[in-house]
Amino acid sequence: MFFHIVLERNMQLHPRHFGPHLRDKLVAKLMKDVEGTCSGRHGFVVAITGVEDIGKGLIREGTGFVTFPVKYQCVVFRPFKGEILEAVVTMVNKMGFFAEAGPVQIFVSNHLIPDDMEFQSGDVPNYTTSDGSVKIQKESEVRLKIIGTRVDATEIFCIGTIKDDFLGVISDPGAAV
Amino acid sequence: MGSLEPFNRLVKLAARAFYDDISMKGDNQPKTSRGDNRGMAVVVLDALTRRQWVREEDLAKSLKLHSKQLRRILRFFEEEKLVTRDHRKESAKGAKIYSAAAAAAGDGQSGTKEGEEKVKLHTHSYCCLDYAQICDVVRYRIHRMKKTLKDELDSRNTVQHYICPNCKKRYSAFDALQLVSYTDEYFHCENCNGELVAESDKLASEEMGDGDDNARKRRREKLNDMQQRIDEQLKPLQAQLKRVKDLPAPEFGSLQSWERLNIGAFAHGDPSAADSSRNAQGQYNGTPMPYLGETKVEVALSGSGAKEEGAESGTDGTVMKVLPPWMVREGMNITKEQRGETSNTTKGDEKSEGKDEKKQDSKGDEKSIQDEYIKAYYEALKKRQEEEDAKRMQEEGHTLSSESHAKRLLGTKTKREDGDVEDEGVEWEEEQLAGNTAETYKFVDLNAEAPESGDEEDDIDWEEG
Ligand SMILES: [Zn+2]
Repeated sequence: MFFHIVLERNMQLHPRHFGPHLRDKLVAKLMKDVEGTCSGRHGFVVAITGVEDIGKGLIREGTGFVTFPVKYQCVVFRPFKGEILEAVVTMVNKMGFFAEAGPVQIFVSNHLIPDDMEFQSGDVPNYTTSDGSVKIQKESEVRLKIIGTRVDATEIFCIGTIKDDFLGVISDPGAAV
Repeated sequence: MGSLEPFNRLVKLAARAFYDDISMKGDNQPKTSRGDNRGMAVVVLDALTRRQWVREEDLAKSLKLHSKQLRRILRFFEEEKLVTRDHRKESAKGAKIYSAAAAAAGDGQSGTKEGEEKVKLHTHSYCCLDYAQICDVVRYRIHRMKKTLKDELDSRNTVQHYICPNCKKRYSAFDALQLVSYTDEYFHCENCNGELVAESDKLASEEMGDGDDNARKRRREKLNDMQQRIDEQLKPLQAQLKRVKDLPAPEFGSLQSWERLNIGAFAHGDPSAADSSRNAQGQYNGTPMPYLGETKVEVALSGSGAKEEGAESGTDGTVMKVLPPWMVREGMNITKEQRGETSNTTKGDEKSEGKDEKKQDSKGDEKSIQDEYIKAYYEALKKRQEEEDAKRMQEEGHTLSSESHAKRLLGTKTKREDGDVEDEGVEWEEEQLAGNTAETYKFVDLNAEAPESGDEEDDIDWEEG
């Protein structure tokens, strides 16, 4: 799920940036530092949408670095248990398959794949129904439900299922013309 | 629009199945037995099945409930998607003018309503049952209950565990990324590179402790048992859902459109209908209760004396009433339908009845008072019925068209709960059983509790803006 929230961060800026473009430098550094990171609490920071407030800088003794408290708005992506996501399959093996929804990795173990889909090894390992009408392989797009998340300080990993109504393949790269 | 009866029965069944033990208590109120208003939710739903759009103050009055308490219940049902509510600002005077206007079959809500008076505006809330949505909600609720259980049983939403046959190290699916091997299709142990086995496989289950296994088995049994009981206990409800499935749900529309429709009906329709509404208006001072045409069905019900008898003795299948559990006691001659059961008695029903009996016992001393009250009530009722019979005999001579007669009946019917009896041709089946007596019974508790709820926070904004 996406959220638009305000976060705060203490930015350290090198003295060489002090000058007329200090603010721009600060924002640029903020984007570089923050976008694409993941915090266990808020999820992945997708994009910074604005800077609300830059507080008074505090000069560090000895180094000359200055610490600015920065309040910024950003879009974060945080997967939740029970959430339905659309994801792209990245790897298929006998144990199940892995998929990605943006920065989030999801594993769907084979017991959470419908029983009528069987694993087929080969060049392109895949799960296929007995009539061959539905196939999950690398690059397939699937709709899945998250049944568990493991949130570390810097990583979120999810367990998903496609064994439920309206879940499973939504586009099949093999079938594409 | 469809007939109300099957839908009302659905509402009543659902109320008893899901909202029987809902206590609508504020967080800050002491949990005394006196303040226990469980069952209130059912009473309110029942009352709503006998109304269409109703002003909430009027409903509170007729249920002898504190309006804040009723509002809390209605808000709950609004959240549960059973009830539609509407709030609008009306001046006291404006409301009266409007009522009168509507009653006089006149011009409906003309400009006068909002226009001329500078009197203080009050927010009035209205509510009615949303039958179409209720069907969906109940169906969905049952579906979710069953699905949750089934998923548990199939261990569908469980995270797979893996075990290394060599070093017995356990992994969960969350570790999957680290376990992937790029040489084959399996997961491999981080320690010894052994091929991992899913725990549900035979080896793994052997590996697991005995106690663990038993616990799982017990849990499965419990789930199975629960599943069975759900099936049994919800059988009447599901049967009713099925019955109602292909019927068009009664639709009252929004408050405005409902009013317009009904006022319109008055304007074009027979004057006698408007008349009865005005009569009711006289001592009632509420919104006019114009009723929709198709509830004419009632003519047949109240028109024939035989029907009344049937309803009273419970021999007539179609008017069978579900007695509230507290009315069911030893030695009462009631049918299973009245207990809200279908033909087969289920374990669950018996259980819940037992509980109710216990509840009654604990209220021992209150009970005798209530018995007195009920006795007196029935006596009064009987007397009145005799009067009504006599009156009807006369009336049948009159040249009232049966149609307008029906409207009158309905109009008076809802008012009657307020305590003013000026009705002709009362419908006894409604009155006799669950309906009014349920409300009367509850009065005892409710009056006691009502003042306590005074400090309750209210989310309706009564101020301007
Ligand atoms: Zn190992």
